[in-house]
Amino acid sequence: MKLPRSWRSRMLPGALLGALLAPAVVYFIGPLWVTVEENAVQAVGSLWAVDRIPLPVAPAMVEAFGSWPLALAVQSLLGGLFGAVCALATLPFADEGRELVLRSLAHFAVTALTFSLLLGVCRWVDRPVFILLWIFLLAVLYLLIWLGRWIGWYMEVVQLRSLLGLDPGPSPLKWRETLPYLPFLLLVFLLLPAALRFLDRAIIIDVPVLSQLIWPYLFLPVSGFLSGISLGKRQGVCPLYPLSCALLALPAGLLILREPNLLWCGLAALSSLAGNALGWLYRRAVPKNR
Amino acid sequence: MKVELKIEPGLEEPRIVIHAGAETEDIRRLIQDLSGRSLGPISVWEGDRTMPVPQSDFLRFYTEGKGVTAQTVDGTYAVRLRLYELEEVLDATRFVRISNSEIINLDRVTAVDLSLAGTIRMTLDRTVPVYVSRRYVKKIKETLGLGRRKPS
Repeated sequence: MKLPRSWRSRMLPGALLGALLAPAVVYFIGPLWVTVEENAVQAVGSLWAVDRIPLPVAPAMVEAFGSWPLALAVQSLLGGLFGAVCALATLPFADEGRELVLRSLAHFAVTALTFSLLLGVCRWVDRPVFILLWIFLLAVLYLLIWLGRWIGWYMEVVQLRSLLGLDPGPSPLKWRETLPYLPFLLLVFLLLPAALRFLDRAIIIDVPVLSQLIWPYLFLPVSGFLSGISLGKRQGVCPLYPLSCALLALPAGLLILREPNLLWCGLAALSSLAGNALGWLYRRAVPKNR
Repeated sequence: MKVELKIEPGLEEPRIVIHAGAETEDIRRLIQDLSGRSLGPISVWEGDRTMPVPQSDFLRFYTEGKGVTAQTVDGTYAVRLRLYELEEVLDATRFVRISNSEIINLDRVTAVDLSLAGTIRMTLDRTVPVYVSRRYVKKIKETLGLGRRKPS
């Protein structure tokens, strides 16, 4: 299969850079990680030095391949492959619509595969679960890049609207339209749990029913859902609203339980998302008379 | 500046005469702006019948099969010109190409939206959706910025 010229001109420098960077990363960054405490080393999942002497390959890889030059060659090859794939990252954005989505997904799949090979074969991580963690971080990076591009396109659309003399439309991801609901969220997610916790301590002796039962499993989902409906009816889909609810549930967990509670974050996000979607559907079904 | 309009029935394309005391920079710019505007009607076909339609009536021109179709509020008509030929005869400050297969009337754009996948959709006269290729966005902005800029 012959690759297009535009691909080849990007892939070659990318491959060279990847082949050089892979051993450099191990050589320079690996030793930094082995000097930190044991838990942190477990978190990144690897030990990259023998007798504190830095190597351009992980010791586990040298052991698996028999000699360090062979291990280095394989690592550079995989680094080159990963670099070549990364160098094509901007190409899907030349398309639009369905092609853009499909090509982005295809690029992510190939990037994730080559990155997993690099992490696994080169023993950059010592447990498969860490590969999943890195792929998750890669997915987050992709989403951030996508979001950045989308905001750029949105600003172009705002400019077009302005040049055409049209209403500039909603702010990117409707952040400005979501903002008026923030005081309500602060009230429900911070002030109310604090007040209920105070009541629990003052009135109820054994079980903190108000703050640990009524608030998280009744007030939180119901208020998230109802406020989501209200926002959806007024502004349509506001993706930042469920995210704000989930983020604000974190300090609420800290306030009540002294630790973040991911279940509460999930409840807050899902209930507000469901409410927002329902409000949006209502808005579509019953258009406002203008 | 005094502006006078004389209606002469039968005149197909407007004729503009400028009366001025001297040829100034402002006058030269005005002449340049006005000369770039093709205001003549476009001939469309409905079956075997041809008729001239004023440019302001058109919503868009688009390729359909091997030919070009023009859409107005009243309906669609065949046009015996290619899109690139239409670009030469249409008012360049009002009509702009938005994709390989479509030219639209910017005066008729009532909404511009962006999908999550990055597709730009324009709505003409609140009813006709058209899709803008991102390759043409720069050209559209140039047309809007240059052609519609208020003279300083």
